[in-house]
Amino acid sequence: MKKYNDLFILALILAAVPLLAGSSAYYMRLATLALVYMAWTVAFNLIFGHTKQLFLCVGALAGSAAYVTVVLTKQLALSPWLSVPLGIATAAGLGALFSYVSVLRGLGVIFLGIVTLAFSLIFHNLVLGLRQFTNGETGLVTRGLGFPALEQPLPSYYIFLAVLLAALAIYGALMRSRMGMAVRALSDDELTAELSGIDVTRYKVLAAAVASAILGLAGSLYAFYNGIVSPSVFSFVSVDIPVLIGLLLGGMRTRLGPIIGAAAFAIIEELVRPFGQLNVLVYGILLIVLFVAFREGIVVLLRRRLGLSLP
Amino acid sequence: MSAIVFDGIVQGLQLSLLAVGITLIYGLGGVLNLAHGQFAVFGGVATTLLLSLGLPPIIAIPGGVGSAGLLGIVVDRTLLLPAYRFRGEERLLLGLILTLGLSFVIDGYLNYQFPEFSLNLRLPVPMVEVAGIPMRTASLAASAIALAIFAGLFAFLKLTLLGKCIRSIIENEVGAELCGIDPARTRTLIVCLAAMMAGVAGVTQGLFSTLGTEMGPEFTILGLLVAVVGGVRSINGTLAAGILLGIVNAFASHFVGAYVAYIILLSFAMATILVRPAGLLARFT
Repeated sequence: MKKYNDLFILALILAAVPLLAGSSAYYMRLATLALVYMAWTVAFNLIFGHTKQLFLCVGALAGSAAYVTVVLTKQLALSPWLSVPLGIATAAGLGALFSYVSVLRGLGVIFLGIVTLAFSLIFHNLVLGLRQFTNGETGLVTRGLGFPALEQPLPSYYIFLAVLLAALAIYGALMRSRMGMAVRALSDDELTAELSGIDVTRYKVLAAAVASAILGLAGSLYAFYNGIVSPSVFSFVSVDIPVLIGLLLGGMRTRLGPIIGAAAFAIIEELVRPFGQLNVLVYGILLIVLFVAFREGIVVLLRRRLGLSLP
Repeated sequence: MSAIVFDGIVQGLQLSLLAVGITLIYGLGGVLNLAHGQFAVFGGVATTLLLSLGLPPIIAIPGGVGSAGLLGIVVDRTLLLPAYRFRGEERLLLGLILTLGLSFVIDGYLNYQFPEFSLNLRLPVPMVEVAGIPMRTASLAASAIALAIFAGLFAFLKLTLLGKCIRSIIENEVGAELCGIDPARTRTLIVCLAAMMAGVAGVTQGLFSTLGTEMGPEFTILGLLVAVVGGVRSINGTLAAGILLGIVNAFASHFVGAYVAYIILLSFAMATILVRPAGLLARFT
């Protein structure tokens, strides 16, 4: 049971947040949003942190799941119990496809980055172009379509908390399995891992598929919670950048890093909100400074300075 | 029909002008510049500021282009230094993230400082007939500028000693260093030249239509696509890819609309990376 101690402590802390913020709808929404970004960052940690695949399409993967879910629910009157898994399957399929193709063609980090960035733009333009299904820039109203619980603040918070804990549990289980060992080996040196008999292709694709499924799950539910799904909700600036910064801030290849990083990013975002347009500039500076001077992240810093054994 | 082809070539030359900078910086510095479109916008904004000071265009335009070059030098000598400490894949990744950050810094600042900005240089004569096709003077002027710059660039790279040094670094950085070439200084020169060419593309965008501060990411993406299709290390390839993609884009926007045209361009670039990672014109992959 000791292995899960940090998860219990984390769950207790996060479950207590509504006691503090519960009275204010604004803070409840912020806290819920932070949970969504935490789940996305956990997934991105698996893709970029552990298997070094630079996916510049986190928002597009979450968004494709969200749009598949919402459009199917709306057009075919499907139950969300059916359309959400279809959305998740779409995201997981796309993620696995990019990963498989990149391994197959031997694409370096940069070309995978360009291919996935191109996919982000294709997704964005498809959503704008397929006006009859997606309603273009305006987006689709999702109120009354999905789960009724996702339209009330407090149940929504606990639903997303459950999603986050499930993501962490999946992550923890994967890392303790044979796959965890394989992934640690291939993140050190891919060629050596391959030579020692590890099926690099399989584990990279598996990591990408599982992580994309988590992205899709959080994305689909977020679309219902948000009340509206539009291209700007899942744009590069509103998803990929926060997730990348959150992961770097918290610490790549750690279990708690994505949580701490995404929480820190949520606080930073609140602080720079008064500056309006300048927030993009702050993100740019953060990205540069973090990548040059703080590549290990908060978790590693805490481990070293305070001697904590954080996972 | 030929009007569409002409239109495509005009657009394509502008794309090549942006993309050749990305190609040069990648070939020479091993950094894929994700802030290249922002250099173009920076040049355009600087030109407008100089024009609003009352300077005549003949001084303001070179001034604006020059300030883009200056920005290039500063970026190369400060921001990219940590990336240059590494080689290969590590440098690529660091350079990618650093220039992505830079693009946000420039975008954020320009959008904040000049929210209502638009550069619009109208030329007096509206239409000219070329080979029976009515053309806007602005398109002709922009194409002439682009062609002159390409001619100059080719002459510089093929004929001068410095140009030969540059090509040798693109071939093999370590080998060039062993022959006594200083890659760092040459790199700064190239980043400066590339930024200036981007600045020219930004200003000529103002000739055709208008240049807004929000256009940086779009320029970067288009330049990146052209550079990738052209094979990120070959300048001839970039020029050819720019014109090809310009024509594809012109036909696609004419027949199927702008969104689908953009999707076709992006898919084309994705397919090129997957099928021929070294570019369309590469002899081997």
